[in-house]
Amino acid sequence: MRKNNCEVIRQELDELMLDETSSAAVAEHLRQCAACREFNEKQTRLRQIVGSLGTVSAPPDFDFRLRARLANDANGAAFHFWPLARRGLAVAAVLLVFVMGAILIRNVFNRPVENKQVADQHNTPATPQPVQTVAPQEQQPNPAPPLLASSPERRPQAVRNERPARIKRPLVAEDFSSQRAEVITGREPATEFEVLPLDSSLQPFKVSLDDGRGNARTISVPTISFGSQRMLQTGNQYAPKRDW
Amino acid sequence: MNTLTTINELGFAPALQQDVLEDTTSDHALLEATRTGDQDAFAELVSRYRNQITSYIYRMTNDYDGAVDLAQETFVRVYRAADRYQRTYAFSTYIYRIATNLAISELRKRKRRKLVSLTGFFQQNDGAEAQELNPPDGRPLQDSELVDTERRNAVQRAISTLPEKYRAPLILRDVDGRSYDEIARILETSEGTVKSRISRARGFLREKMRAYL
Repeated sequence: MRKNNCEVIRQELDELMLDETSSAAVAEHLRQCAACREFNEKQTRLRQIVGSLGTVSAPPDFDFRLRARLANDANGAAFHFWPLARRGLAVAAVLLVFVMGAILIRNVFNRPVENKQVADQHNTPATPQPVQTVAPQEQQPNPAPPLLASSPERRPQAVRNERPARIKRPLVAEDFSSQRAEVITGREPATEFEVLPLDSSLQPFKVSLDDGRGNARTISVPTISFGSQRMLQTGNQYAPKRDW
Repeated sequence: MNTLTTINELGFAPALQQDVLEDTTSDHALLEATRTGDQDAFAELVSRYRNQITSYIYRMTNDYDGAVDLAQETFVRVYRAADRYQRTYAFSTYIYRIATNLAISELRKRKRRKLVSLTGFFQQNDGAEAQELNPPDGRPLQDSELVDTERRNAVQRAISTLPEKYRAPLILRDVDGRSYDEIARILETSEGTVKSRISRARGFLREKMRAYL
């Protein structure tokens, strides 16, 4: 209770001007309360010190400088909007930078994918790629499940591979037509022939060529068939593997 | 308001005599005359308030040259906005409000520039502004004038470390001797807020000036 009373008294003392006299109740409290008396003495001393700071005079040339400033402002009234215009120019410059950046990023991400595909084809092993075959239905009575030509997840890549390159550049080719091929007469002993290492895969054979400048060409060879005598499937356990 | 082209066209009256302009000429009347192009009236307004405004901004910023610049900027704004001035409050309230806003803007600019970098080492945790490293000189001084000078310097430094929201009302009340009502109008806040801030400001100062009390 006494603490609250002291707070009220101190607040009242705080709000008084220095030359104002306090009320009778405050004066009575100050006579009885040593803490509030000390507070009042320190507070009064502090306010006297702060009040003694006084007024600082303006420099003698204050009016002259002010006149010069006003005249300068009047002459340069046309430039009052310059800060606003400068801000607008800054915003426009930032927008321009953003637009240029967006165009640059878009160009980087929209570059032709041939380079990437060629790199991928070099890295992947020479496994046969699924491509739609043109063989008639009776020539392939048993389309095996591994034939993934119609697989939905493979189709986009196949279509992309078959898409012609945007920039058509001449392929570098070597002509072997002037060289004679080796002739097999059949008189050689059978032991001299090696067993042909043909894989009896039903998937077509696919070759990818690169001209060294990022242009790719894909050649797809359909499944080989000799009339009714088909190549033995690798899944046949009675047939010797990889033998003709 | 006339458009000015040269300094001389302003026609300030540097040797304006006090007896020419009577004391009863109110600030409102002077500003009204300024609006109609009377440069002498504006010169009288400047002469009435230049010291007060310069001193007030100096107490706020603790930088005399900057205070002079801001005081001039205050008068420039008064001159430019003379057409839009409304007699809602006293002219002194109006011009002190402009000066307060300019001083607070300057203090915030300084804070952004971190010109008072040393005070960062003494930042308080309760959100109050940093205190300067300003230990009182305990050596005995030989002259009472020196004592007073030292005390005034100390209190000026202590005031300049107060948060700006406490600094302005304390200066307006204890240095300029303005009423709570006028301070509230200048700072555009309530009278209770002004009293509370002044009380807190004095509390801060009591702590900082303990050695001098």
